[in-house]
Amino acid sequence: MNELGKLHQLIVPFFGHNITINIEVVIMTWIVFIALIIFGWLAARKRERFPNSMQVIGELLVSKLYGLTEDALDKKLAKKYGPFICALFMFLVLANWLGIIPHLEEPTKDLNTPLSLGLMGFVISHYAGIKAKGIKVYLKNYFDPIFFMMPLNVIGELSKVVSISFRLFGNVMGGSIIILVVSYLTYNLFLPPFLNVFFGLFVGTIQAFVFTMLTVVYISVQVK
Amino acid sequence: MAIEGADLIKAAAFLGAGLAMGLGAIGPGIGEGMIGAKTCEAVGRNPKEAGLLTRTMLVGQAVSESTGIYALVVALLLLFVV
Amino acid sequence: MEYDVQQLIRLAAFIGGGVSMGLGAIGAAIGEGYTASEANMAISRNPKQAGNIFKTMLVGQAVAESASIFALVIAILLLFADISGAGLLKAVCFLSAGICMGFGAIGPGIGGGLAAGEACTGMARQPKASNRLTSSMLLGSAVCQTSAIYAMAVSLIMMFIGFGNAPLNPTWAAFLGAGLSTGLAAIGSGIGEGLTAKACCEGIARQPTSASNVTASMLVGQAVAETPAIFGLLISMILIFGSYAETTLLSPSIALISAGLATGFGCIGPGIGSGIVSGEGVRWIARNFEHTGLLTRTMLVAQAISQSTAIYAMVISLILIFVM
Repeated sequence: MNELGKLHQLIVPFFGHNITINIEVVIMTWIVFIALIIFGWLAARKRERFPNSMQVIGELLVSKLYGLTEDALDKKLAKKYGPFICALFMFLVLANWLGIIPHLEEPTKDLNTPLSLGLMGFVISHYAGIKAKGIKVYLKNYFDPIFFMMPLNVIGELSKVVSISFRLFGNVMGGSIIILVVSYLTYNLFLPPFLNVFFGLFVGTIQAFVFTMLTVVYISVQVK
Repeated sequence: MAIEGADLIKAAAFLGAGLAMGLGAIGPGIGEGMIGAKTCEAVGRNPKEAGLLTRTMLVGQAVSESTGIYALVVALLLLFVV
Repeated sequence: MEYDVQQLIRLAAFIGGGVSMGLGAIGAAIGEGYTASEANMAISRNPKQAGNIFKTMLVGQAVAESASIFALVIAILLLFADISGAGLLKAVCFLSAGICMGFGAIGPGIGGGLAAGEACTGMARQPKASNRLTSSMLLGSAVCQTSAIYAMAVSLIMMFIGFGNAPLNPTWAAFLGAGLSTGLAAIGSGIGEGLTAKACCEGIARQPTSASNVTASMLVGQAVAETPAIFGLLISMILIFGSYAETTLLSPSIALISAGLATGFGCIGPGIGSGIVSGEGVRWIARNFEHTGLLTRTMLVAQAISQSTAIYAMVISLILIFVM
């Protein structure tokens, strides 16, 4: 049980501040990157009319996610933001699945990963909003309905980042804590594999999808 | 345990923050759920208008979430300002 | 007045056992009553199916009962707990184990009852689908019980944990907060998942051909409605396994208790709310199952947004634990 809260950190001195780098998370994130690159290479290596299995999986994923983006945004914007959405979903799914392999951990278990992805979505959605509506209309939205609602509107926007990233973090971290606790209580007998499948594959996929959908929704709210 | 004035005020602020956010989250949660439920019904009845319905739902949920955000603001004020 | 530590621990264990069983009986009683009333209505509608409905009622009530049985187990363990050589912290642990399990059994009991009642109604409406209904109802109400299982896991950990030499003053509050957090958070998720399972049974009865779609989307909805209970468990575990510096002040302890209160209360509403959403989503997937994908997507977004207040509560708890 003592592994709860254990972190492998590297502390780098930097102009008087100590920067802590979470080595484990960096390694796990790079494992996900490499797996994604290999998958992309396998899927796009031989593009044929009668596709092999990898190409089918890749095409299915990309077309479904493009369809989702097109439903929420329009065709032109979907072309622009579709690749980001596809990449986000594939990264999150693979990252959430990583925990079912022994000795590997989900990079999303560390708050930094969901928070940085949430911030990325936040910046992109506001960029899209400014680009689509112009800076004047964009700023005017903050003074809706009355001018003194401005601070609350700003907090409302910022809390979106908090909610999207803590949702993913809480689910993945909570799942792994439950697996740890149940393994401890049952002396690693019988139950943990099922829990791993439930929290790793099922909840992991759902939460990755929720994160992606919310990013699309945030962009579409800003654009419209 | 010696309880002094400043300590007691701080303790009360913490308790107030916890209760404000905890109880303040109940209403918006249920209210947003009702909005979402009605939107699911509306999408089920008329799937063609799903995009419009989802946008309307998001606006409605943002409004009903504002009380939750007030609770958050009050809790943060209690924690960091008082 | 002189207090003996052993006596105090015994006292706390007895109070904890009483609270556990007393609160734990609420949910199961309401849920099973609902099931029985729905079963009676169903039999009066379709007396030919009386045998089948009666069987389903009993099976469903047995599942809804399980949360209450967990509470009974914890209560009995507390009554006969071994207290030799334990310190005052053990007293707090016993008390909050009882509180945790007691509150944690309310929601799952009600939720399981809702699902079972709707399965009985559905059987009267659509006798051909009764096998499908029974299996979906069992699956749905079994998922409802997971939040009670979280509460039981937290209670067991608090009963059997060794403290080392943790300081008494802030640690007692951490344990109390941990019990409140998981226990209260389980209420919302339990009821919410029950509403989802109820809608699933209704949908299968209305449209038996959509059964596989409906059951799958029920599981998705329940997995998302489970999130608040997982947040409660997360805060509890952080509170239980944190290490605290000794202090003579009151405010650090109050911060830890109110961290538990914030997440606990804050997860009730979002749990119920996301359950309402997924219930309605599942109901309409049954009626309009050509649009399962679209409806599931709308349902997931709505559920995720209705949980954002639970996330704010969790953030306040994390601030209370780590910053204050």
